[in-house]
Amino acid sequence: MIPQLSGHSLLVFVGIPLLVVAVLALLVFASSIADGPRYRPGLSWWAPPVWINGPTATKPDPANLPELPELTGAPGTTATAGTGVARTTGGASASW
Amino acid sequence: MPAGDAFTPDQLYDLERAVRYAEETSGLHFSVYVGGADSETRPFALELFNELDDPDSSVLVYVDPAGRRLEIVTGPLAKRQLSDTAAGLAALTMQTSFATGDLTGGLVTGVQQLGTHAHQPPLLHASDEQHKL
Repeated sequence: MIPQLSGHSLLVFVGIPLLVVAVLALLVFASSIADGPRYRPGLSWWAPPVWINGPTATKPDPANLPELPELTGAPGTTATAGTGVARTTGGASASW
Repeated sequence: MPAGDAFTPDQLYDLERAVRYAEETSGLHFSVYVGGADSETRPFALELFNELDDPDSSVLVYVDPAGRRLEIVTGPLAKRQLSDTAAGLAALTMQTSFATGDLTGGLVTGVQQLGTHAHQPPLLHASDEQHKL
């Protein structure tokens, strides 16, 4: 026979545990909720471009940039597009 | 954070601080671009690089999160201070962080590393003060 639970018993044995679980879940997920969507490699990128310390003049819209001549992907290539000034650049490339 | 932004204000602050550190340490101009490329990443990064105010003395870190590509572009003058090998080491550092989904941490560490590698100690013998003594 199932004993009848009073309102007080329900509060103590159901309400309080639920409250504790809710608080713990909030503590666990608070940081990710505050940070918003996180970058996950392999999934689509959702955000608009960000250029930190970019040119002081009007920033170009990447969608309207002129077509570039074919360049090899290796560092040390000569960049001539945009300004028309040829300069030998260096650097590195990586993928993940 | 507003929906759709790549970085929170705190993350942007950390990135800008890392860029300032790299610039103060090396004397070069550092720039970071995070976004997709319409074409191949290297030509696109070079196009962005040429838009900078002083490309010859600049270092551009270009990250394509969707394409999972990273490009570091150094100008002719910057290349004297920051070799391709040093840039490759910083790229490796960033690559490791990006693979775990930590864009901000990878960029901050990588840019700081680039600035440290490009650091040049002052030439004391070239100072005018020495000649006055």
